[in-house]
Amino acid sequence: MRDTPLSNCERRFLLKAIEEKKRLDGRQTYDYRNIKISFGTDYGCCIVELGKTRVLCQVSCELVPPKDSRPTEGIMFFNLELSPMASPAFEPNRQSELLVTLNRQLERCLRNSKCIDTESLCVVSGEKVWQIRVDVHVLNHDGNLMDAASIAAISALSHFRRPDVAIQGRDVTVFSPEERDPIPLSIYHMPICVSFAFFLQGSYLLVDPCEREERVKDGLLVIAMNKHREICSIQSSGGIMLLKDQVLRCSKIASVKVSEITELINKALENDRKIRKEGGKFGFAESMPKERITTLKRDEAPVEMTDVEETAKDIVNRTETTTEVVSVPSPVLVGMGTAQVGEGIVNSWGLDEEEEDEPQTEDTKTDEVMVISDSEEEEVVILNEEVQ
Amino acid sequence: MAVEMRLPAVHKHISLAASQSNREDKHLVVPGDVITSDTGFMRGHGTYMDEDRLTASVAGEVERVNKLICVRPLKTRYNGEVGDVVVGRITEVQQKRWKVETNSRLDSVLLLSSVNLPGGELRRRSAQDELAMRDYLQEGDLISAEVQSIFSDGAVSLHTRSLKYGKLGQGVLVLVSPSLVKRQKTHFHNLPCGASMILGNNGYLWLYPTPGQQDEEAGGYYTSMEPVSLSDREVISRLRNCLLALSAHKVLLYDTSVLYCYEASLAHQIKDILKPEIMEEIILETRQRLVELEG
Repeated sequence: MRDTPLSNCERRFLLKAIEEKKRLDGRQTYDYRNIKISFGTDYGCCIVELGKTRVLCQVSCELVPPKDSRPTEGIMFFNLELSPMASPAFEPNRQSELLVTLNRQLERCLRNSKCIDTESLCVVSGEKVWQIRVDVHVLNHDGNLMDAASIAAISALSHFRRPDVAIQGRDVTVFSPEERDPIPLSIYHMPICVSFAFFLQGSYLLVDPCEREERVKDGLLVIAMNKHREICSIQSSGGIMLLKDQVLRCSKIASVKVSEITELINKALENDRKIRKEGGKFGFAESMPKERITTLKRDEAPVEMTDVEETAKDIVNRTETTTEVVSVPSPVLVGMGTAQVGEGIVNSWGLDEEEEDEPQTEDTKTDEVMVISDSEEEEVVILNEEVQ
Repeated sequence: MAVEMRLPAVHKHISLAASQSNREDKHLVVPGDVITSDTGFMRGHGTYMDEDRLTASVAGEVERVNKLICVRPLKTRYNGEVGDVVVGRITEVQQKRWKVETNSRLDSVLLLSSVNLPGGELRRRSAQDELAMRDYLQEGDLISAEVQSIFSDGAVSLHTRSLKYGKLGQGVLVLVSPSLVKRQKTHFHNLPCGASMILGNNGYLWLYPTPGQQDEEAGGYYTSMEPVSLSDREVISRLRNCLLALSAHKVLLYDTSVLYCYEASLAHQIKDILKPEIMEEIILETRQRLVELEG
């Protein structure tokens, strides 16, 4: 199904806002959205949430005969799929330009950078090697699929464990996970893609564009880098002309972002490892917030409070002062998070003191206890007759 | 910046007793409901045969015409009928035609021969006209048009062969479900509150300031770019919020209902109309007045 077209005024609004260095969600020009990485119960399964963009990556392996030209190297196979649940514009089995671009970029980023040691995947030279298959599925499209896909792919590869093998001559025994612990892949470095969107003929750039910003962009620059500041791939699309210092500036920004993201990935991997070792619960079910009526989980919304004080003073000055000046005592801090201003008025619920007054004013039968009960007992014995 | 905070609270749904009366004669179904087990009926749109039983595949009202049973869904894409007024957005400029997006299953078609040339001339369209198509209507432009005919696959063919149709200038577009727009004699209304609106049958409603002079020789392609006054803007904003309130409560949209809702909302601030409690109040009043009008 075709996407609803963007209206002219929306386009103009977005471009005008970008000119004034404002973004729709309040981020700064170089800010990334919140990245959340969670791992599943199987090794090699990872979901990355970049704001609302969600991407799932699954890594699996298989023993296959190697390629003729490279008999001692393992095979890496990358596949990215745009699921129709990501956006109404994605149709199943439709080869769109976006799909081809994403696939190519993912392959270039991970395969050509030689981040995985393929020689270590060789079992019997010329006969059996491991084929590592990386499947990336886009679950929700809210912009910047490339970055999310690359983070998901490299996290899943780092998380993955392949079965242990024993070679005796020409015989190969593959051990199941119960027999021998599976082995992680040998990963040299973590290449991560950082996307820069250019607007208004290259005069303004934004890092991590969201879906609306992507629609009005002129061009895109994707830099794949690792934390050692090595550029793994650069791709510029959209036909805009970039100046040399712009590209250099982008690469500097990318190196900062990549080191932050690599730290995040390592922390997530470390957490997962710790939980698995301690025997705690791990997997996707644990990383989702509990759906209970009493819990209210929402992302924190940043509120602009820069001019709160002036506005408050304004309002206070403008209100008319009452003739009767009631002095309000300053707040008393009762405890953590609790403060008290003033004191309450007299208790008006009409409890003990008043009830004791009433029977005395009434001089009718108050000694007799009125028994109104449906009890079928012949005699109702009331204990504690004094309490009235 | 003043921040407004509201705590979540449970509020009862108010439903008028009057609306209960006609609920019994309407046969409402949801997907999966069995309509009838009688095999003598022919099945129409929105139904399917599930082991000899006629079952509904969409949520809506059952319509029976002699032996034909079909289900008309409540929430659906726009299905064109000849003579409808629609508001659409140009998505493509092709050879001798424009593709217009009208919230239907297929893009609608606006043929070059179905538009009024600026200046109102009547002549054969030449090759030069074809090359200059983009000067008349570009991608992203909003137009109001009438449905001329329907193709066999359901795509709708539009025409703007009247001075009241054409490119739309300054105004506000409100999107609602097509089933909420009542079919009436005219869909162009000049409301007494000071704004005008076009109720497109496809669910696209257009609000715009009432044009000063009524004679437009330009033939629908002249869009005035003069700044709109603040009072007009306020009226249009209030109308837009009223339309959203009406559509949230599934009230049928026509000029009277919109007008009553506008009058009921005058007691509140424009931005308060979108709050759920105030919305319910306004809709209640509107519904009461509409019921009085009928009965």
